[in-house]
Amino acid sequence: MGDEGGLAHMGEQFDVAVVGAGPAGSSAAAILAEKGVKTVVFERGEYPGAKNMSGGVLYGHDLARIVPDFAERNCPIERNIVESQAWYLSADGGYAVSFRDRVFEETLKFNSFTVGRAKFDRWFAEQAKSRGAFVVPATVVTDLLRDGGGRVVGLRTDRPDGDVYARVVLLADGINSPLAAKTGFRPEAAPEHVALAVKDVVELSEEAINERFHVEAGSGVTIEVLGVATKGMDGIGVIYTNRSSLSVAIGANLSDFMTHKVRPYEMLEEFKTHPRVAPLVKGGRPREYMAHWIAEAGYDAIPRLCGDGYLIAGDSGMLFNALHREGSNMAMTSGRFAAEAIVEAMERGDFTRDGLDGYTSRLQGSYVMADLRKYRGFNGFRLRHHELFTTLPEAAGYAARQMLTVDGTPKKLKQRAIRARILRDIPLLRLLRLLWEGWRSVK
Amino acid sequence: MAGNKKGIELAEVIPDKCIGCQLCAGICPVGAIEIIDGVARIDPDACIGCGKCADVCPVESIKFERKRPRAVRKKKAETPAGVPGYEGVAVFVEVLEGRGASVSWELVGKARDLAGKLGTTVLGFVVGREVEEVARQALAYGCDDVHVVDDPLLETYLPRSYGKAVSDLCATVKPEILLMGATLAGRDLSGVVATILETGLTADCTGLDIDEEKRILLMTRPTFGGNIMATIFCERHRPQMSTVRPKVFKFPEKDAERKGSIHHHPFEPPAGELPSVVELVRDAAAGGLVDITRFPALIVAGKGACDAESMPMFQRLADLLGGMIACSRPVVESGLLPYERQVGQTGKTVAPKLYVAIGVSGAVQHLVGMQGSERIVAINSDPQAPIFSVADVGIIGDYKNVVPLLIDELERRMKWETRGA
Amino acid sequence: MNLVCCIKQVPDTADVKIDPETNTLIRSGIESITNPYDLVAVQAAVDLKGRYGGTVTAISMGPPQAEQALREALSLGADRAVLLSDRAFAGADTLATSYTLSRAIDKLRQEGPIDLVICGKQAIDGDTAQVGPGIATRLGCTQFTYVTEIRQVDQTGGRVTVRRKAEGGSEVIIGCLPAVLTVELELTKVKRASLPRLIDAQRVPVAVWDAESLQAEPERLGLKGSPTWVRRIFSPPLKKGGPRFDAREDARHAVEACVAALLDDAAFAEQLLKHWER
Repeated sequence: MGDEGGLAHMGEQFDVAVVGAGPAGSSAAAILAEKGVKTVVFERGEYPGAKNMSGGVLYGHDLARIVPDFAERNCPIERNIVESQAWYLSADGGYAVSFRDRVFEETLKFNSFTVGRAKFDRWFAEQAKSRGAFVVPATVVTDLLRDGGGRVVGLRTDRPDGDVYARVVLLADGINSPLAAKTGFRPEAAPEHVALAVKDVVELSEEAINERFHVEAGSGVTIEVLGVATKGMDGIGVIYTNRSSLSVAIGANLSDFMTHKVRPYEMLEEFKTHPRVAPLVKGGRPREYMAHWIAEAGYDAIPRLCGDGYLIAGDSGMLFNALHREGSNMAMTSGRFAAEAIVEAMERGDFTRDGLDGYTSRLQGSYVMADLRKYRGFNGFRLRHHELFTTLPEAAGYAARQMLTVDGTPKKLKQRAIRARILRDIPLLRLLRLLWEGWRSVK
Repeated sequence: MAGNKKGIELAEVIPDKCIGCQLCAGICPVGAIEIIDGVARIDPDACIGCGKCADVCPVESIKFERKRPRAVRKKKAETPAGVPGYEGVAVFVEVLEGRGASVSWELVGKARDLAGKLGTTVLGFVVGREVEEVARQALAYGCDDVHVVDDPLLETYLPRSYGKAVSDLCATVKPEILLMGATLAGRDLSGVVATILETGLTADCTGLDIDEEKRILLMTRPTFGGNIMATIFCERHRPQMSTVRPKVFKFPEKDAERKGSIHHHPFEPPAGELPSVVELVRDAAAGGLVDITRFPALIVAGKGACDAESMPMFQRLADLLGGMIACSRPVVESGLLPYERQVGQTGKTVAPKLYVAIGVSGAVQHLVGMQGSERIVAINSDPQAPIFSVADVGIIGDYKNVVPLLIDELERRMKWETRGA
Repeated sequence: MNLVCCIKQVPDTADVKIDPETNTLIRSGIESITNPYDLVAVQAAVDLKGRYGGTVTAISMGPPQAEQALREALSLGADRAVLLSDRAFAGADTLATSYTLSRAIDKLRQEGPIDLVICGKQAIDGDTAQVGPGIATRLGCTQFTYVTEIRQVDQTGGRVTVRRKAEGGSEVIIGCLPAVLTVELELTKVKRASLPRLIDAQRVPVAVWDAESLQAEPERLGLKGSPTWVRRIFSPPLKKGGPRFDAREDARHAVEACVAALLDDAAFAEQLLKHWER
């Protein structure tokens, strides 16, 4: 290894340069490297995952397409999800719907599971590395390099001699993507297109978690929470079980944060004190606090994902299904599609937008775009109907309370009282529109 | 709950307790233990159920149910305590500018305590040039015997020459314990001597004690930057060596009447050319260099008070309290103050009468360097700052408001107290 | 000029804590980093190589993951990296460690003379600063610790001149080669690795030497070769902390109360008074 001679020289040529060693970037790198494509991945953080955060749920199906034997390869899985719950909370309590199925412990084991992102991203990047990809951490990509015709031919990093040339650049640098904004490939996300989420990892013994959630060691539960916990803002809270900790997170649309002047951390603390939440986190010790953005906008905010010499994958491309909290799997799958499209482009020697179009066609033909299209109205729907987070939870709570209280009142009178209460808070027309638009947005 | 395989109880690691020290991996006779991701893992197929790993684990992170009573323990009781032929607690007396270093006398004081528990004597090792006076002082501070190597070649400290002198003394005198101050020379020299004598050395000890049953020295020291304390022992090798930082132990009383004997030993210089000093730069001479360990009060600026404009204010406070400005590591890294003002794990250890921490969060690496301070005052705007847990008095607030008021108050009191004078 | 750097991978000590209730290590997010002092040592060696020509070999004794530290050394400009890894090395204290490293350096010497061995002053997990002197003693080399400046290397005359910390200041001292230097952080700033080097560092094969290839005596390695053992570990006792005065609302009152509390102690007040009277 020499200084100026040998392999190292300014502006080394790679086939593919990836920005970001998150799920999208590492997926692409893993597939490309396996096919012998010379790939380098640049990661801003000290190590892959250092700058990443998610609720923590990952989907085995998409991961298996990239690392088929992930369980045998010591994938750092926290708990295998066997039960999913959805809660609708009012101030003093609320509804819970739960679904558990034995199949998730047996034939469909690892359908979904929780992970710690720092550990998982690191492991995932190692998989790409072990197949031959170069992963360069602690390095920021500051700009893209273009030729005279505007085509992307490489990228510039903040290291000395930090230019790298590549046939294709894959932008997988997450929701914030300073690069996308700077290069104009994706406009800076508007506040109503993103949610700000804050999360606490609460330490709790493995036994306590097994007991409180009624699971065996290694199995886990996810809880998605809607209602008043987000203080009238369009948002959601979650409680996910890890091996010996709980991920408790809550977030809301950024534009709502700006108008409601609620402090995220206080909202999280209050969430933990809710009567339905408190018993689950009791005795737990908050270990780590993080904040992150989530791409909420859906289909209509997706930028052009394909261009001359570049592709955009993952959160950077706003590929996130907010209704089903599916982001990491979409990221992985988009990374995989990007890799496959790049391999095709290499065979043809065409790295223009047309040559790379295999990427968009794959996305369109898969569940990724199908689901995003299906739910394209969902974000708008929620933003237009804040009663979902204010009056409706309370009215619903009132309804149940009425019905469950045995106080000598005839049920017919109770029904009337419930109806009156609902209509007091939400005019009938609005209620009908809520139901109608709600149905439309998810159908 | 170790697995059961062919009737053998297997050992199992509790991952959360394991500190990855690798002692188990080293001792496993069949190599069944691997360290993966910093945590030990026992291969159940290879484990033979001998339990050696569970025995050696310092944090009890290995589950092992022994079927038979511990035969090992009984065996240990049969071997006599201590190592025959080695006696006495020796202290290396560092000579600086013709006088014994304070830390050496502090160690002599502690050595008296240790020797008392062992029922043995305190030995002083004095190495240098024209050090007879220091030898006499060693007796006065508590040594029973002083062994002197006095030679022109030993005028200034050099690792190889001093290393030879001290290790030769150890070979002749055969002390069971050798203590050295953890000064620049001490930390240097101790490593050399321990390697020559192939014995165990524990550095920067904050505590020394005796296990009287086994007749061994128990040495406690901070590790992982002070986050964790470890108690270490050296069972079979002699002398058991330890270095101790200044001001950890109390300075002893001097007794000029104390009786003892001084023995002189010739110096056999090591082979080969020795390094020579070209230039010597002293503190006071090289303008601006300050020794913060010599001040009874320290005004310590931390990351939260790292601003040049406040320096004159801190200086005023320092003057009022008879102290000097010091700082934590981030302030040195920012370039505001020079390295010799740094208190902490990678800086100096101080133990002044008054330690005023301004904008210091109290990270463990810093605390390690000042916990011995007699009185600690903390000023920090963050009520959760760890420094408050060691401060005798704390003020929560912005130092820019608080310090001027503090100066005012002290001046007011000073005027009042000295009004008669 | 042939240089060897001994480096070590350590846990990032800022994060290491013991849970005071259960006396177990809290592992959350503990990363492994290359000992900062060792990075300075590598940078110093690479700078010397730039001045005088030659090669820099980085060696490290550790588990397989210590390879990361060696790759970091390569990215800074080391030419070659060797990992000393063997189960037999596990559990080593500083005596066994300096023995193992010295055996490796002896093996490197078979390929050609070594002029300088540069190590960091201490590792931030153990903080003992013993291995450098141990290596120097075993190899019979000149030993200079706390080096803050490497002034000059005279290859023909076989001498090295350094500035190092000394009691009460610093000294400039000259000694024969070969020499072992342990370096202070302020010796030099570690440069950010260039991109080509960083990428190449991932490509260069790292040699792995085990106990046998070092021809090391088994009873001097690892746990067996370590005279010191850890009896127990514990969390440092937490001090309680005294009264706190909130100066955010009424600063003057808080300060007054604070000073009063301080001067409550008669002995302390007396000392302060003495100082004021002077």
